[in-house]
Amino acid sequence: MKKAALVLGAALVAAGCSSYSRTEKAQTQISFGTAVARRGLWREAAFRFEKAVEKEPNNARAHNNLAVALEAEGEFARALAEYKKALELDPNDTYIRRNYARFAEFYTSYTRTTGKATGGS
Amino acid sequence: MARSVRLRGSARTAALLLAALLAALPASAGVAQVRLKLPLKPRLPLRGNERIVLAPFVIATEAEKARDKRLQNVDLQAEFQRFLKKQIEKKTKLEIVPVPPELKLPTQNLSELGRSTEFWRALGVQTGAEILISGSLEFRVEDRSGYKTEEYVSPIDGRTYYRQVYVEQTGFLFDIVFLVFDGHSGEKILQDEFKDFRQTGGRRADELQGLFENLFSLENQILNLFVARDREAERYIFTD
Repeated sequence: MKKAALVLGAALVAAGCSSYSRTEKAQTQISFGTAVARRGLWREAAFRFEKAVEKEPNNARAHNNLAVALEAEGEFARALAEYKKALELDPNDTYIRRNYARFAEFYTSYTRTTGKATGGS
Repeated sequence: MARSVRLRGSARTAALLLAALLAALPASAGVAQVRLKLPLKPRLPLRGNERIVLAPFVIATEAEKARDKRLQNVDLQAEFQRFLKKQIEKKTKLEIVPVPPELKLPTQNLSELGRSTEFWRALGVQTGAEILISGSLEFRVEDRSGYKTEEYVSPIDGRTYYRQVYVEQTGFLFDIVFLVFDGHSGEKILQDEFKDFRQTGGRRADELQGLFENLFSLENQILNLFVARDREAERYIFTD
């Protein structure tokens, strides 16, 4: 029993380490970004998610999180680009699709009322 | 016996270790729902401290007032002007310039009003205002009473039946078209429309209360013409 538990523990540690070694830095940025985002510190969250995207340009989740943070900062044009990138990388993800649909609804009305695609650089 | 107790103790330690390890590992497919306040830029390109005039609005339902007793109870022009003035004074730094008392709109047609550049330029010169606000207001009280189907579980046989019940309801429709003019040139710089519909129980719901229900629900959109506002939204972020 003891032996089995130890073997299982060692296997989990090894698995954890191997997955972390691949994405350690992007993962760290996403975790930190998520923590600050939950506290409403969206500027810092955007910075962290941007770092995560730099580390892993093909990570759809990082692009999604960055899009949400940019949206919260009022950078709507950039948020649109990030949502599109996230969807391009993972077109079947329900959460990304839902976010994009809600954003698209808002953004359409926003650009209609302001008359131009503002909020982005 | 002693060996069995020791083993059970080891198993507990291993389980705790395992739990700690699992907690340390990132949760798979972690998603969190977050609430955002989307910053909405003002729709008018203002500095924020302009002098503005709240000119009269065209009342689109004026002709119906003679026939509809409930509309006669509401001075739509006065109530709306008072509401708008109060909101602008409270939530913006714009300076409201009094309207000349004898001021009359050159037309009751909204399209023509939008093209009355000379009239608006003259009003801008007369009042010294940089921004002039006008437009049209429409307020309707509708009797929405009628039969509706509802489920009914019989206390006798416990079965579900459907029955028709008469429900008394009143609907309040409010439609505002804003026309915003440049006080120097008289040119129209923005036209926008906001609509709201509220429904309340009872056939004789109070029309003034209905009007203010409409206005309060449009408050954010109206103020967003002049100042930045935010809009709440929910999104998902991935935690791993």
